[in-house]
Parts: sequence; C-alpha cells; structure tokens
Amino acid sequence: MKKQKMETERFGKLAVDYSLFYAGKVEVNPKVPVRDLSDFSIWYTPGVASVSRIIAENEDLSFRYTGRWNTIAVVSDGSRVLGLGDIGPAASMPVMEGKALIYKYLGGVNAVPLPIDAHKPEEIVDMVKKLEPAFGGINLEDIASPKCFYVLDKCREEMQIPVWHDDQQGTAGVTLAGLINALTFTGRKLRGTKILLFGAGAANIATVPVLVAAGADYGDLILVDSKGILHPEREDIDELLLRHPLKYELALKTNKERRKGGSKEAFEDVDVVIGASKPGPGVWKPEWIRSMAEDSIVFALANPVPEMWPEEAKEAGARITATGRSDFANQVNNSLLFPAMFRGVLNVRARTISDKMAVMAAMEIARFAEERGLKEDYIIPTMEEWEFYPRVAAVVAEEAVKEGLARVKMTKDEAYQKSVEIIQKARQTLDLHCREKLILPPPE
Amino acid sequence: MVTETSDVVIRDARPEEVDAIAGLALRLKRLNGEFDPMFQVRVDAEEKLREYLSEAIESPERVVLVAVAGGKVVGMVKADLVDRLFYVPKTKGEIVEFYVLPEFRRKRLGEELMEQIIKRLNKEGADIIAAEFPALNQIAVSFYEKQGFRGLVYIYAKTL
Repeated sequence: MKKQKMETERFGKLAVDYSLFYAGKVEVNPKVPVRDLSDFSIWYTPGVASVSRIIAENEDLSFRYTGRWNTIAVVSDGSRVLGLGDIGPAASMPVMEGKALIYKYLGGVNAVPLPIDAHKPEEIVDMVKKLEPAFGGINLEDIASPKCFYVLDKCREEMQIPVWHDDQQGTAGVTLAGLINALTFTGRKLRGTKILLFGAGAANIATVPVLVAAGADYGDLILVDSKGILHPEREDIDELLLRHPLKYELALKTNKERRKGGSKEAFEDVDVVIGASKPGPGVWKPEWIRSMAEDSIVFALANPVPEMWPEEAKEAGARITATGRSDFANQVNNSLLFPAMFRGVLNVRARTISDKMAVMAAMEIARFAEERGLKEDYIIPTMEEWEFYPRVAAVVAEEAVKEGLARVKMTKDEAYQKSVEIIQKARQTLDLHCREKLILPPPE
Repeated sequence: MVTETSDVVIRDARPEEVDAIAGLALRLKRLNGEFDPMFQVRVDAEEKLREYLSEAIESPERVVLVAVAGGKVVGMVKADLVDRLFYVPKTKGEIVEFYVLPEFRRKRLGEELMEQIIKRLNKEGADIIAAEFPALNQIAVSFYEKQGFRGLVYIYAKTL
C-alpha cells in the first residue's frame, strides 16, 4: 500500500513539472490550408461574409459550415473538483484541459476547457445557455451536488444541444459497464443483486436510475451518505425534502428492507459496493468487506485515491475489485465512455443524451471486454484499447436515431466508419506532431 | 370516531401514544426551522412537546388525532377550540400542529386527517377553521389553498 501512496505522489510531481514545461495540454490548430495571402480573403474578409449570410438565414447551417458540429465546451465552476472540493474555476483548469485532451485523443471531439466564474445554479445555467450558438454539445464538469442536478436538468430542458454532466451520467455509465461483467463473472444477474452505493453525491445519485434502466430494482439498492444509510425515517429526512429533493425521493424508493444505521450495517450481506465518496485510503474497514456476501464485488471509485486499496479489499474477501485509476486492474473511469458518447452524439447531431443511450453504451463497453475474455482483473476495457470507442459511438448514434433524437440520420455502420476516421485522424495528428518534434518529449 | 384509508386508521390520540406523537411533532418543528431560521428549535423542544401534547390529549378544548398504520403512529394533527372575542363566527377551530411521515405522504393521508379534524371541530361548535404555520412554508400554503383556505391574519416579525 505504501507503494501506491508513493506512486500517487510521483504522478503528482510529474504532473506539476510537466504542466510547467508544456504550459497547456491542448491548443487550437488550423484545419484548413493557407496556401497564400489570398486564402485569407476566403477564410476571413471579404469571403467569409457570404458564409455568415447563409447561416443568418438558417442557424442550423452553422453545424455544416463551421466546426460547431464537432466542438463542445467543458464547463466547470470549480465547486467540486475531483476529490479536492471547492477550489474555484481557475484551479479547475488543469482538469478541464485534461478532459479536453482525452476528448480529442480518444473521441476525436474538439473540446474547449471553459472554467466560469458563475456559482449560483441559475447563473451557471444562464451562462451555459448563452454559449449554445458556439457549440455542438456541453460537458458539465466538477460542479457540486446538489446544484449540479438542477443545472443539468435545466440546461437539458432549455437547450437544443446535448448537455452531459460527466460526473453524473459518465460515472453511472462506466460503473454499469464494469458491473455487467463483474456480475456475469460471479454468476449473478442485475435484478435481485443487493447493491450498496457508498456516497450519495452526483455520481451515485445518477448511477441509481441508470442501474434501474438496465434492470435493477430500486428496492435492492441501498444508499449511504455522510449521515449513514438513507431511509425515510432518518432524522434529517425533511431537511432533505427541502435541500436535496433527489436524495429525499431516493430515501423513499430505495432500501426496501428499510435497513437503518451506519456503514457497518450498510455493508452486511450486500453483493456489490460502489464507492463514489471521499478519497481514501482507510474510508472502508476490512471487516465491512468481510461482512459482504461471498464473491463480493468492490468498486472503490473515489479519486485520486480509492476508498480502500484493492489489495486490501481482496485480502478481506472481495472477488472482483475496481478503482478509478489506471495503475490498478479494472479501471472504471469515465474516460472509457465520454469520448465515445459525444463522438456518437455529435455524428448524428442528437438533441440530447438519454439514459437509454448511456445504458446501450455501457453494454457495448462490457461486450468488448467480454469478447476478449473476462478475468478477475479484466472486466472492463482499458483506455489503450481504443478500438472500442468507435463501436460505442456507433451504438450511441444508432440509439439516438432509434429514439428520434437524431437530426442527422445514419446507419450504425456509417456512424462506426465515421467515428473510426475521425478518431484515427486525431491519433495520427498527435503522433505526427510528436514525431516531427512539434510536440517535445517531456523533460527528464 | 375512526376512519380508514386502506390500512391506515385515523382516530383520537391516546395518552400512552404521547411519546410517538411528540416525535412527529419534533420533526414538524425541525421542518419549520428548515423553512425559516426564525423557527430554530430549542434544545428541550422534545420534552416541552411531550408536556404540551399530554395536556392537549386530556383537554376538552383541544383535539388531537393520529393516523396509525401497523400499530405505529405515522401522522398527527392537533387543533384548539378558541372563542373569538370581538368577531363572528364566535368559535374558531385552530389547527396548530400537522405532520405526516414521509413514507405515508402522497397517499391523501393529509387530506383525510384534515377532513376528520374539521368534522370534529365543527361538531364541537366551530364555525370557522384556521390553520397556523410558518409563513415561509410554501408546502403548507399550497396545501391549505387547495382546500379552500385563504390568508386571515398576518404576523410580521424581526429578530433584534
């Protein structure tokens, strides 16, 4: 365990040194030729006026004549960044840049990191809505619960481009993907499996409806927050009614056995624990893991350090473990989903992202790993296996078309080919820049 | 008088139920505090509530009804019969405490409790019914407006 702690510190030091060296992880690059001076008369004035005139007649054409179709904004107010809490928009920039890097490299999606100095939920919604003419979609990021639920819902309601809160929907989707295979591997079905969701922030609250959409029963899910197990007779239930209506609803719908108590009681006999709470280690006790059902599934997803080191969980009897980190087996990380989700969604210019689209994406991610052969330490693909991204994008596009949410129709195969093309180009461009030393290798 | 809504029974409160009813009333007081910081609950509120409700259960000028499901008190309502000094109708039934556990909300239990207490207050001579609750409790405002109530008296306040 000390080794992992040192690894975390090492990554931190490298991140600081490298960030200083590169001063930015993504940049804007021209994607049209500039052959001579007269090209500027085409790309800029006077030629460009004709393009603007066309779009002025029909706003939708901006998706065809500009890069808007393949550009999203990654928006944050910095109010809940990773496991660091409310560090503000400027400090969230490194994370937003990282997100943009992954969007481009794995999904071929142009993403603009956009920390904003708006904090009241209505202010954030207002600001995001006003960005609509510039983008094909919005990724909300690291916005604290419970305001993030309001912000996501309001933006989705009032905007015509897809809005996605990755901490909610992304985490829910990849958790489902990992869970599908973990359940298969341990001979379980989603329906009837007792699942403990440890932590009732944006991630786990969003995971509940996605699990239910995939076939789980609300009653078999138990939520635990900082005050203990969520149930309708908890002392603060009316406080939740006013301050956190989603939690209130879940207190009523979940936990049909009406289990009461704290963490110890919560872990007893459950098949699965999904941790999306505060960073560890030491958030979970080994005896809690031991009290779970046999062949238990332990997803310790807190960032940057999981609630419990997977080794410890295994020692305490867990059969399958997963964390959010790439230096452990079974990385359940949103990066497996969001680039593919937006690749698919942007291909068909979907109006919104539905829960069903997230479920279909999760199933495709799971299917990919299953095809390669499930093992205890391989229940979900890794970010290096880039071939699944276009497959997931195609499934998302197909589902969008099926649900009547797609403005541009294409077949699953067309969506797949288009995704492969775009993603390959993004990867080739980066490789080319590195080879040509336009991007320097990191300092020693 | 006893009425039933599926498996919930509404009847007069019994003295031995005072602890359970006080528990619900305490939740009510806390909820009021959530709506309005001027209703911050006293540390000894639960004890005071027990005394207050014991007295009410015994008193002929007060009515306490409970909703009971599976032997457990899941809802309560308390009203006072008051004579208005200068106005008619003379006898007013004032609903002052009203609470239903979250698990039993959205099942019309609130409306049933209201119906029962109003019937009783009317039987005891009340020709006008009033309900008292914190002004900032929007849920109560909508609830009573739906039942045909309207604002009667304003009490404006500020802390010093």
